[in-house]
Amino acid sequence: MNGIGWPLVELSSKLLERDEREAVLGDLLESNESAWQGLLDVFGLVLRREAGLWKASRPWLAGFGVALPSGFLLMGVSLSVSCTYQRLINHKVYDCWWPTGHEGFPLLLCHTLLLITWSWAGGYVVGTVSRRTLWVSAALSLLPLFTYLCTFRLETVSRLCLFLFLLPATLGVRQGMRNARVSFRLASLLALTITVLMISAWSSKALWIFNWGLIWPAWYLVAATWRSGQEGRTGSWPIDHATYTRVSLR
Amino acid sequence: MLGEFEYLLITAASGLGENAYGAAIREEIEASTERRCSMGALYTTIDRLEAKGLLKTWMGEATPQRGGRAKRMVRVTSKGVHAAKDFYDAVMRVSRGASWVENRIGNAS
Repeated sequence: MNGIGWPLVELSSKLLERDEREAVLGDLLESNESAWQGLLDVFGLVLRREAGLWKASRPWLAGFGVALPSGFLLMGVSLSVSCTYQRLINHKVYDCWWPTGHEGFPLLLCHTLLLITWSWAGGYVVGTVSRRTLWVSAALSLLPLFTYLCTFRLETVSRLCLFLFLLPATLGVRQGMRNARVSFRLASLLALTITVLMISAWSSKALWIFNWGLIWPAWYLVAATWRSGQEGRTGSWPIDHATYTRVSLR
Repeated sequence: MLGEFEYLLITAASGLGENAYGAAIREEIEASTERRCSMGALYTTIDRLEAKGLLKTWMGEATPQRGGRAKRMVRVTSKGVHAAKDFYDAVMRVSRGASWVENRIGNAS
């Protein structure tokens, strides 16, 4: 293996897990393959590993069930919250955004809270359900955003307004990936708050019908915490490894 | 029932005994089949066989020859031995009367 090629092989092997990386790099050195062949071997293995992940339902659920539709809907909510804010604070009128165009401060507060909670719950579910395919879920959630930016010109508000949902969503993903515990009570409180806020917005005719789809990550969280409470008696989700092992051995 | 490559891998690992690990198994398969064996095929098959309980793997020692990197050692379990034997028996049974088998016997005699 030549001096230039090997660092490339080592770099690409970072895509593998630690033990596997160790074994693969050792095997490549031992078999004295060319750097090009080594690169092909490493990428081949990475591709097979990635493809293998998609045999399960979780990556599909995280990517196409949550990230993609949520990205699209939350982009719209981010924009409408920004427009409502501009209308109420700076008295600029954008009559094309949001169902009524006549929201006051309570509805602005309601929409802002919904934006934060929807984004956080969606992010948390994505981060917990399928960590290893997170980069695909992230790309899918950003796809509608960049499609919109490339297709339409946004003159009324700053382009950054479209990205409002990213902060709470990223926080949710981060906490989901770190296995931050959510108790059944907290999940129920979150889901109920979202539901009440949505009913309130809906009754004021200030909620798009498709936004009801954003409710499911929060209720999924409730179901998951309830289920883990039933199985592991911990009442929180995700359940810890020891509990998982105990439950699996039953 | 094992797949063809799974059978090759178990047989190579079984033949290597205590010295069965990634690179050695790969070399053995390549020597027997005269075809290239990719790392991807090797390690994903090892994982699959381990998940089925046909192999057991663990991280072994590091050697200077490998740049101080550890080996992924492989051992065939008794379940793996049975599965390989079943595959071999099936191949032998289905091969009885095949023209190439008869020819080979004819050539040998």
